[in-house]
Amino acid sequence: MRGGGRLALLALVAGSSLPARPAAAYDFTIGLRTIGQGYQVRRYAADGSNELLSRRRLTQYMDLAVFDLAPARWRGDDGDRNVLYFDASLRLDSDFGGYMLGRPGGQDEIRELKQSQLDILYAFLGGRNIGGRVDFMLGRQIHFDLVDFFAYDGGNATVRITRNFSVQGYAGTEVRGDLPLSAPIYELDGTSAGSRDPATRPNQNDMLRPLVGAAIAGGSDDGPLTARLAYRRVWSATADQLPGEPSSGVNDEKLALTARAAWRNRFYAAGGVRFNLLVAQFDDQQLMAKVRTAGRQWFTAEYSFLAPTFDGDSIWNVFASGAYRDLRGVYEVGFGPEVKAYARAFARFFTASGFAGGGSMGASWRRGRGLVRADGYFDDGYGGRKLGFDASARFAPLQTFELEGRLTGYQWRSDAWPDTAGGTNLGGVVFGTQAGGRWVLGQGVRLHLLAEDNVGTYYASQFRGIAIVEVAASL
Amino acid sequence: MKPLATTNMGGVRVGAPTLPLPNPPAMDRAERSPARFHATKHLAAIIAIAIAAAAGAALGAGASTPSPLIYPAEKIPLAFDHAQHAKLGATCESCHQSALTSTSAGDNLIPREAACRGCHKIDRDQPAKAVPHGQGAARCDACHVAGDARWMPSEMGTLGGSPNPPAKGPAGQSPSVLARSGLAAEPPRVELARPNLKFNHKLHAMNGIGCALCHATADMSQAPVTRADLPMMATCLACHDGKRATARCSACHITEADGRLKTKLVSLATRAAGGNGPLVPSGSLRGIDDHTETFKRDHSQAGRDEKYCLTCHKRTECIDCHGGVVRPPSIHPSDYLSLHVIDARRNTPDCSACHRAQSFCVGCHQRSGVAADPEGGIPGRRPNNPFGTGTGLKMFHPPGWARDASGAVIATPRSTSHSLAAKRNLRTCVSCHREESCLTCHSADPTRGPSFSPHGPPGSFAGTARCRFLSARNQRACLKCHAPGSMELSCD
Repeated sequence: MRGGGRLALLALVAGSSLPARPAAAYDFTIGLRTIGQGYQVRRYAADGSNELLSRRRLTQYMDLAVFDLAPARWRGDDGDRNVLYFDASLRLDSDFGGYMLGRPGGQDEIRELKQSQLDILYAFLGGRNIGGRVDFMLGRQIHFDLVDFFAYDGGNATVRITRNFSVQGYAGTEVRGDLPLSAPIYELDGTSAGSRDPATRPNQNDMLRPLVGAAIAGGSDDGPLTARLAYRRVWSATADQLPGEPSSGVNDEKLALTARAAWRNRFYAAGGVRFNLLVAQFDDQQLMAKVRTAGRQWFTAEYSFLAPTFDGDSIWNVFASGAYRDLRGVYEVGFGPEVKAYARAFARFFTASGFAGGGSMGASWRRGRGLVRADGYFDDGYGGRKLGFDASARFAPLQTFELEGRLTGYQWRSDAWPDTAGGTNLGGVVFGTQAGGRWVLGQGVRLHLLAEDNVGTYYASQFRGIAIVEVAASL
Repeated sequence: MKPLATTNMGGVRVGAPTLPLPNPPAMDRAERSPARFHATKHLAAIIAIAIAAAAGAALGAGASTPSPLIYPAEKIPLAFDHAQHAKLGATCESCHQSALTSTSAGDNLIPREAACRGCHKIDRDQPAKAVPHGQGAARCDACHVAGDARWMPSEMGTLGGSPNPPAKGPAGQSPSVLARSGLAAEPPRVELARPNLKFNHKLHAMNGIGCALCHATADMSQAPVTRADLPMMATCLACHDGKRATARCSACHITEADGRLKTKLVSLATRAAGGNGPLVPSGSLRGIDDHTETFKRDHSQAGRDEKYCLTCHKRTECIDCHGGVVRPPSIHPSDYLSLHVIDARRNTPDCSACHRAQSFCVGCHQRSGVAADPEGGIPGRRPNNPFGTGTGLKMFHPPGWARDASGAVIATPRSTSHSLAAKRNLRTCVSCHREESCLTCHSADPTRGPSFSPHGPPGSFAGTARCRFLSARNQRACLKCHAPGSMELSCD
């Protein structure tokens, strides 16, 4: 471990001397994606009638990756590449059109309704398999495990103590929408920057939130049993502290255990349980068993329990006393490499009474340059009822050109009752069509166009158009 | 090495002509009618048998074969009996000597004609050369078969590659006439596509890995070894377990510049073989990672191990869906704006996997006139939506939700009260409301409203672990309803 630590330090030093290193082939990859969307959003006018707002969004992703920053001698015996690297993704999301008119502004502004947002989604210096033992990341990073999907600015290091045992530790500050160049998509839910009521302590949203976490993991990728135990704590100092108030508070504290097992290349199981130390509850429990029979047939059974919990600053951790349990079953089969089919059923039981359940089935057929897929679904219970189908097809007449189309139809009835049409609940029929194509315009340049039109109970036509231009280049 | 017998070396199994079957005898009306009646009578039985047959077909369907993305389609128009050669004492190295020095998976290890000449007295000037019984066949079409194509060298002159290339067909046709009539002037060629793998035969041989370990059935096959006989990943993993040999995916799989596995391997050859998608896990490694038709919707278990996912994916691919900018049509169908009313109430799929209720949901709901404006409205701006509890406003929720028909706040929960919906899925509530909505009635501050306790009956919250843990970790949440120093803040 001490050797691994020294090598990690060497990696950092090497990274800091990056500009001095001469360029080599494939040292940089730049990816640009421009997504233009135009669509309509139904809203309730002040008199209760329906109207369509036009929404125009332009989203620009800019990805930059720099590889092989480390000397070639750092590569392993089998030529492992990219021991030291830098990876970043920026996003500009700009929204305009009628949808943005009349939105709350000033102190009432809601993050998601800001006109233009420039976010650094992630940007970090990374090291992989340094000294055969250490992985690290330094900078803004995104992670996902049973603890949560979360982002933070800080450092993360994983050390493989033995082939089947590793230790991870990380520390930093949580990425929140109120920070500069920060997306709100991964912050804990429960408090709102748009709240103006002093009792909700809106100034608390401006505070930095330090976090620490650790994990231990055992087992190898292809071993019969693997497990990971992870812990994370996020806290913040009290804003505008008054006498009698605590100086700080915990925003999130969770302990999660996940495990996975495989037996004889036929039977698989995976599961996890998360203990939320804010509310003293196992708020997330999951267990899945999967069996493969002859050929490519899968039977999957899954159980889950989820109790909604929120940011530690939110009163909703008191209000959220309910939960739900899910049972799911899936059967999937492949008829050779071309045809696949599945059937899926689920049942959700609310602990506070109530039930929802349903199922879906579908099949796909891939042949040559084409793909056809059809799905149907029905579910009913708490929330409402829906019955629908979805059929899609893709065909590539040329290596550089692919056509796609989709037909969608469904009937739905919600059990919500907004008083807009004589007190009846919402529902109707929708029929949608999509058509588009993807072109490879040149090496690393792709264009994707898609048009969608929906006809339904609430409108005669609702149009949506998407254009995506992707440019990827290696230098 | 003993000379090979000519028996069955002509490739009878491969490309052998099929005999025409006699026409079935015609049935007259009298014979057909009972059958039709029978079918109608036993329709249920026929359906049952059909279902059973389909199930049987399903059980046997898709026996594991190598992915066409890893081993692209190939053409090996050769007749070769491995078992026969093995019986005669031929070893793998006898013919596949180049395998011992091969360092690339792209190397063609099929023996050249010279390797056959040791036993087969081939003469290119005599395509139909006859040899005495007991010697290895020397006719071209003893090995070079053509499947359905008509490759008939018996009357031909010489072959391509010889000093005298063929100019005439069996009946003296020119090559162009032969082509038009479907007769090939030359034997069909072996066409191999480079496998999308890294493999070093030499290294394995040097480490004492025998051929049979990976090509176990080759010496029992009565046909050439094809891509269907090549080893699959499970075979590799038997040794590549991280202990005896590296278990890193990139040890065998081709990688991108950034070290991720290259998954876009589509070519015309792979498409022709049915492989028109990216390289995806088959499930043979973890089971839960098989990218089946439902994987996009149900990958939460597989997604717990980000390092494993990042073997192939970039982080931006996660954000594409989980960042909520573009609606993925395979998850949310057309006009999902209408349909999401149902899914959000029951939280299927889990909205929080991609959306944050207090910004994404509230933002759109407020702009689209569903959510209440911040309490008291926004100064200088008229109420943006028709719903609320003020004069002239419509009700979003049904009568009895929070107030009775007279507009009075309901003190005792009823079956129609909002408390039941909140207990089922509070996330639905907070997709429109903020904390101040709840504080209006549930704050302990009597100046705000009726102060209905959200803690349940007296004694059901104080003293619980939930109370102690919440209070110990973040009392700021408590202070939103209770005054500092209040006795109510104690969990005892």
